[in-house]
Amino acid sequence: MKPCVRIAPMIGSRPGELPAEDARALAAHLETCADCRALAASFEVTDGLVAEALLARANARDFAPFVDEVMARVGHRSPRAAARTDRRSLLDALRERWRIAVPALAAAVVLAAVGTFMYGGEHVVAEPEQRLASLEVELSGEGSIVLQTSDGPVVLLAPDDDTGS
Amino acid sequence: MGRRIAFACVFLIGIVSAPALARAEVPVHIRIIKGSKTGPAKMDDSLLVLKKQLSSLAYVRWTQESDEKRTMSKGKIEFFKLPDGDDVSLQLKDEQPDKVTFEVVLLARKTHNKLTIERGQRIVHQVSGEKDGSAFFLTVIVWPDAR
Amino acid sequence: MLPWRTTYVNFRSRQDVPTVEDDDLALVQRARLGDAEGFRALVVRYQRKVYAVALGIVKDADLAWDVAQDVFVRVHRGLDGFKGESAFGTWLFRIATHVAIDSVRKERITQRDDVDEVREADLEGAGEGILATSLGNDPRETLLRHELAAKMEAALATLPEKHRTILVLREIEGLSYEELADRLGIHKGTVMSRLFHARKKMQAALRGYAGVRHRAPAAGSDVERGTSEGKVEE
Repeated sequence: MKPCVRIAPMIGSRPGELPAEDARALAAHLETCADCRALAASFEVTDGLVAEALLARANARDFAPFVDEVMARVGHRSPRAAARTDRRSLLDALRERWRIAVPALAAAVVLAAVGTFMYGGEHVVAEPEQRLASLEVELSGEGSIVLQTSDGPVVLLAPDDDTGS
Repeated sequence: MGRRIAFACVFLIGIVSAPALARAEVPVHIRIIKGSKTGPAKMDDSLLVLKKQLSSLAYVRWTQESDEKRTMSKGKIEFFKLPDGDDVSLQLKDEQPDKVTFEVVLLARKTHNKLTIERGQRIVHQVSGEKDGSAFFLTVIVWPDAR
Repeated sequence: MLPWRTTYVNFRSRQDVPTVEDDDLALVQRARLGDAEGFRALVVRYQRKVYAVALGIVKDADLAWDVAQDVFVRVHRGLDGFKGESAFGTWLFRIATHVAIDSVRKERITQRDDVDEVREADLEGAGEGILATSLGNDPRETLLRHELAAKMEAALATLPEKHRTILVLREIEGLSYEELADRLGIHKGTVMSRLFHARKKMQAALRGYAGVRHRAPAAGSDVERGTSEGKVEE
């Protein structure tokens, strides 16, 4: 039986995963066997790609309903449902304390009006129907690439002139 | 009487300008992270929040090199030293209630990039060329309470 | 004149996610005491990774969604029994593995070509390098790798369930040989052999994309009789 048959399953092991004797045998074999060396190189190149592919699929999927569905299945109300209950409680509290609530509300309206007057003209107000934020990227230098994600931009640099690894 | 009027004016000016002054200081969370193409896919636990942005890249192994929280004001430039010895500067160019614009400058590469993000979003910017399958990235998020 | 180029990029508002400073164990404690937000935070933290593991094992996106939900429902039911002897994530993904495998148990029973031992015939073609493209530091190579990653999922789906499972757990969770042996209830040697087979089959499936030709075996050779690798498209 070729030694490759015994050695091949060891290819792709991480430091510390093999007994010392097997690690030495693997290293020694890779020095002399071009086929196993090529196999090890192939495994290394594709190492991590399965995770990358699956995690990219997971990240691309809209998980907004996931947690609410889980919470419903385990018997917890969603925060939205809880908030509806909280708003009713807030209204009840305001009704009971109207002598405090009314002046406080009036003061809040006045402050909001002052704030809008002073600062409102300087900022862009999003159109109600605009659900996506329009943001700006200005690039200079050579060949930067911007990748879009909903968490924000990812900027990559052009390769260096000298060949990398 | 004149003194009282003057004091009242100063007081009112202070009240009016205080919100503007308070808004000029922006708390920022900055990290330097390292991405590697070799090795098993792994991400430091502290970097899990970056997973969505980092998963689109070729780098599969991520480690945190530094982690800082600073307060930046408009026009102020902050410098960061990378583990490979190069420098990267970060400047707050503009600040709005829900949006902020940063300029990232890589001195060694003559790269100036301006990016505008909104509250809760994060910039991930490669700040070094790739060497031995690894590269450094700068991440910036404002209002750290938003993550 | 500065070489500015202005690009307008649209970003969708993102879903809020709990702070990473929340400790898993602290969230488990809160969830045990009936704090819904504590359990919700755990779900949000792990939902995508659990889904990714499930997707790798069950192949179907909708089934993976259901499996991932089942996992968290079982976790919720078992919270009182979680003693903290292992990390919460370890415990969670142990449940995820078993739920996902159970959902494809039918596939597992009917699979025949799942020999664990490595034979000489399995090594044919090992000398050919995969992926002639170097995947260097050119950002365009990043996009090529992106494209390759898309092929990986299709290639993974062609593998038998136990090869898919072990490769997914190895890569997504980063489990060691011993951890894989413990998780799957098999010997370490079997772990290594299965991983070898899984990777070899992935290489064969990806050869077509990389444009690397596979040498047709000589008529009557052991390779022709024994190999599980197919021919590559021109």
